[in-house]
Amino acid sequence: MATMQEQLDRALAEAEQAAASVRTRAELEALKARLVGPNGSLTAVSKSMGALPKEERPEAGKRVNAARQRAEALLAALLARVEEAELAAALGPAPDPTLPSPDAPAGTLHPLTRTRERVLATFRKLGFVVAEGPEVETEWHCFDALNTPADHPARDMQDTLYLPASFRSADAPRKGDEALLLRTHTSSVQVRTMLSRKPPLRIVAPGRCFRRDAVDATHSANFHQVEGLWVDRSVTLADLRGVLDFFVRETFGPEAETRLRPSFFPFTEPSFEMDIRSPGLGRLSGRWLEVLGCGLVDPKVLAACDLDPGEWSGLAFGLGLERITMLVHGIDDIRHLYANDLRFLRQLA
Amino acid sequence: MRVSLQSLARHVDLGDTPVARLEELLPMLGLEVESVSSFGLAPIPHVVVGEILAFEKHPKADRLSVCRVDVGDGAPRQIVCGARNFKAGDRVPVALPGAVLPGNLEIKVGRLRDVDSHGMLCSAGELGLPAGEDGLLILTPRQPALGAPLHSLFPPPDTVLEIAVTANRGDCLGLRGVARELAAALGLPLKPLAPAAPAGASAQPSPGDPFGFVRVASPACALYTLRGFRGAKVGPSPEWMRRDLEAAGLRPVNNVVDITNWVMVQTGQPLHAFDAAKVAGGVEVRPARDGERLALLDGREVALDASVCVIADTARPLVVAGVMGGADSGVTSGTTDLLLESAWFVPGDVRRAARRLGVSTDSSLRFARDVDPAGVELAARLAADLLAELAGARPTGPAVAVGQAPRGDRRIHLPSGFVAARLGSPAPDAGVAEVLRRIGFAVAPAEGGLDVTVPSFRSDVGRPIDLVEEFVRIHGTGQVPVGRPVAPTPSEPEAPAAALVREVALRLAGSGHAECCHYSLRDRAELVRTLGEGAADTLALGNPLTADQTHLRASLLPGLALALQLNLSVHAEPSRLFETGTVFRPGADGQVREYLAVAAVALAEPARRSWLARPAPDLFSAKRLVTDLALAAGIAASRLSWVPAASGLWQAGHAAELADRGRAALGGCGLLDLRWTRGLDIRGPVVAAEILLPRAALAARKPARLEPFSNQPPVARDIALVVPLAVGAGEVLERLRQAAAKAAGKDIALESVTCFDVFAGDGLPEGARSLAFEITLRHAARTLAEAEVAAVLDQVALAAGKSGWTVRR
Repeated sequence: MATMQEQLDRALAEAEQAAASVRTRAELEALKARLVGPNGSLTAVSKSMGALPKEERPEAGKRVNAARQRAEALLAALLARVEEAELAAALGPAPDPTLPSPDAPAGTLHPLTRTRERVLATFRKLGFVVAEGPEVETEWHCFDALNTPADHPARDMQDTLYLPASFRSADAPRKGDEALLLRTHTSSVQVRTMLSRKPPLRIVAPGRCFRRDAVDATHSANFHQVEGLWVDRSVTLADLRGVLDFFVRETFGPEAETRLRPSFFPFTEPSFEMDIRSPGLGRLSGRWLEVLGCGLVDPKVLAACDLDPGEWSGLAFGLGLERITMLVHGIDDIRHLYANDLRFLRQLA
Repeated sequence: MRVSLQSLARHVDLGDTPVARLEELLPMLGLEVESVSSFGLAPIPHVVVGEILAFEKHPKADRLSVCRVDVGDGAPRQIVCGARNFKAGDRVPVALPGAVLPGNLEIKVGRLRDVDSHGMLCSAGELGLPAGEDGLLILTPRQPALGAPLHSLFPPPDTVLEIAVTANRGDCLGLRGVARELAAALGLPLKPLAPAAPAGASAQPSPGDPFGFVRVASPACALYTLRGFRGAKVGPSPEWMRRDLEAAGLRPVNNVVDITNWVMVQTGQPLHAFDAAKVAGGVEVRPARDGERLALLDGREVALDASVCVIADTARPLVVAGVMGGADSGVTSGTTDLLLESAWFVPGDVRRAARRLGVSTDSSLRFARDVDPAGVELAARLAADLLAELAGARPTGPAVAVGQAPRGDRRIHLPSGFVAARLGSPAPDAGVAEVLRRIGFAVAPAEGGLDVTVPSFRSDVGRPIDLVEEFVRIHGTGQVPVGRPVAPTPSEPEAPAAALVREVALRLAGSGHAECCHYSLRDRAELVRTLGEGAADTLALGNPLTADQTHLRASLLPGLALALQLNLSVHAEPSRLFETGTVFRPGADGQVREYLAVAAVALAEPARRSWLARPAPDLFSAKRLVTDLALAAGIAASRLSWVPAASGLWQAGHAAELADRGRAALGGCGLLDLRWTRGLDIRGPVVAAEILLPRAALAARKPARLEPFSNQPPVARDIALVVPLAVGAGEVLERLRQAAAKAAGKDIALESVTCFDVFAGDGLPEGARSLAFEITLRHAARTLAEAEVAAVLDQVALAAGKSGWTVRR
């Protein structure tokens, strides 16, 4: 009959041999039962210890314990291996991380949107808040209140898009038999703001405008402006320069120079175009370029909006988002901005 | 307005002020310089007229010709030339060896591909003349003498500035106005204008006048003056006058017509000369009569009506007042007796008449910008001097004037400190006075400020604020201090749309959508698709410019569909697109409302294959988008009610639209009409989402208030119902939600009711389907008891039963 040690060694050897083929948790459990279960081979050896002479028992106990430790280590290693395999099965085959993602890339914002948000952010820093007005506008808000006489060329049917007499707008109700039109500038928001809120006021109004123009490289059937208006007790030309110089530096960089060139708009007096000159504008670098119109609010406009020109003064400006966008990005044809060609949009995203 | 510097020198001596300085200065005075061009030709030694006797192809270069050129010295030269626009016998400019052309191009004897060339045949551009057609400057039609110095064929050199004059500065449509501005800016004196012809006028014609009466019967004419002349000899104008007119862009005609034009160029006051022999009786300024016709100088015959003011004799209209003369009353070579008209017409009336006739003339342009009433007489006197001097015309009497100058000099009181207050920096009265005097304003100290007299030529200055502009303009806008950045005013609410548009744009771009921007004006077919035949024309424009831009847009989706088409066609691989913007919709009350629209489209079949397919978007991904956008605008999903789509934008049966419940929002989700998108060459379906938020109803979102939430475990129970196919699952869900919420009471929260299974087929009655819902409940303070949950479920089942839906066990 084999010695106890031989029996222990054989049981462990058999278990180690069987372990090589264990793949699943069930097989692991079966092996565990064969080895250390109630009827397991190691269990049987340890039970046989009772038959040994008393003086041999301590030595035998040590041997059985050592064998048990080996068995447990074997089973723990097997468990780790089985768990690893289970995890691998749950995860499936490892993907090739060098493959491109099949998901669509992030989308893009339109360059006009980016310009608009930049412009608005700039003026928000100066305490301007965003205001809005309707695109279908009354003749009074678009022209009369802005000191544009009835025979002014801008009001001609040839230059302005009018709506038929049957058109009724919930957002711009007519007074009397005045005409409705597609606003030719966002300056109409000046009027709506001054009529609806008390000064001091400081607003910027982004919006879409319309002129009856044929589409070409520099003209568009519609375009976008941002109007600015600041009304307070003593607004000056120095304030105008302060605000607009800040805008130009934020938009075109600190190296951009500005000049106020006298011009004419019916709703401002004095009126100016602001020109910029900058080294960072590609082909247009170093040339004076018109970027916006501005001036002090004409007293007649204040009066039309029920503000006393003796008490209140204001500055106003209007800039074209297309113009700014084209200058900043070096775009030479306004039609790109309305063509919606992704090859264009992705470049400027 | 073309400003010749030589002509300008008649009014102000600019000395040696460089052109570049003027180019800088004029815009800062409000006179934008649009272009600078040269006029005439400076002498260039060794550039002469030559004749190409013969030519042949260069033996070694297809594009070159070898020419024999005679320059009149009896020794024809061989010159190689690259131009092709000439023929043998043509006379052309020849630069002989020794000539130095503009750009420092020195001409030498040379060899071009082994052929000797003794000079160069020149194009207009190479000589510094305005470049005309390609190739050599052909002189043949001018019949120049062989060997003549080239510059002898051209006027002396001059620079012409093309200046844009703003609508308020009619005074700068004459050289004198521009000269006045420059003189003021540079501190130079303006040369005097002192016509010899006497001033003053009578109300009636003199016995010797070649006209019997002058009458004004139209409000469009405030002041009309007429002078008679006899014995005029019509012929060509002198060279200097022809030169001035050509430099100003006008074509010389004859001395009488040229004098009227020349005076107009100087003063800005248009004049008109009639042949007295062709005017019957006298002249009357009156509205045209309906049905009257007039043959114009430009060769057209126009029908007139009472909206147009004319100058007429007893028989017929002769001139459209302020716009254009008639063909048969003008001055011709046979004219001896003249009528010279100088007048002031109402600017708006002239503008309208010009528009009506579809013309813009040098005359209408100036009258429409408001000419100087005082210039009416001045110009006529200058012209009278020249008619006597250059055409031998004798005046037949004093001018006859009818009407009044509509404007004289005006006095404005400018309070001390007014300019400084607008400027934001000190501006003492003395300094302001000095600046205003320089532009011809008279300034006198007065109590509390200055009295400023504005001359009649400045129609645009009438108020103290206008004087601020004049001061800043002449003093220099660069002198305005730059204000310091300003402190914010007390907070004002922002327009809610601004924040919303920014948020949705960022969200949609973040979820793979590329932002588009389309025109607001669309064609009728698009509106018919969106709104139907009946409603489409409620959004028609009154005066569209082009046939494809006749209506306001009612949806952003047609534009986006076209953008998909375009980007597929150029292989730009579109996938998802979006746009935000205003659209218009007619309401049931007949009023059109403006909506802030947000729309997105996605291709159900990707434009490019991929190694791994992703689930395609469908109606429900679009519905999620609309629901989320509504929530961003503060509209809970429960306020949106969905009905099958009826608009032609959508594919019937595969799209839903929002019912206009309480005007919360309009919109739709699902597939775009498949025939339409296939017609756009888009292969698979287009999944689309659009929400229209009434602008007037947009409100700023208030910050949410925190509601306490329970930490107790939730309990979920399922309930399945057999429901007729015609009943929408959303309706069933809403019914169950209401029943469960009511049964749960105050302390138990109904956390959710979700649909997790939809089944039709085996085991179910015909025309019915099974819908399974999970109902989740949670108590605020403790674990729910089974009996409480069962009670709620019983109530839900009862409600379902009342609706006629069977509970499946």
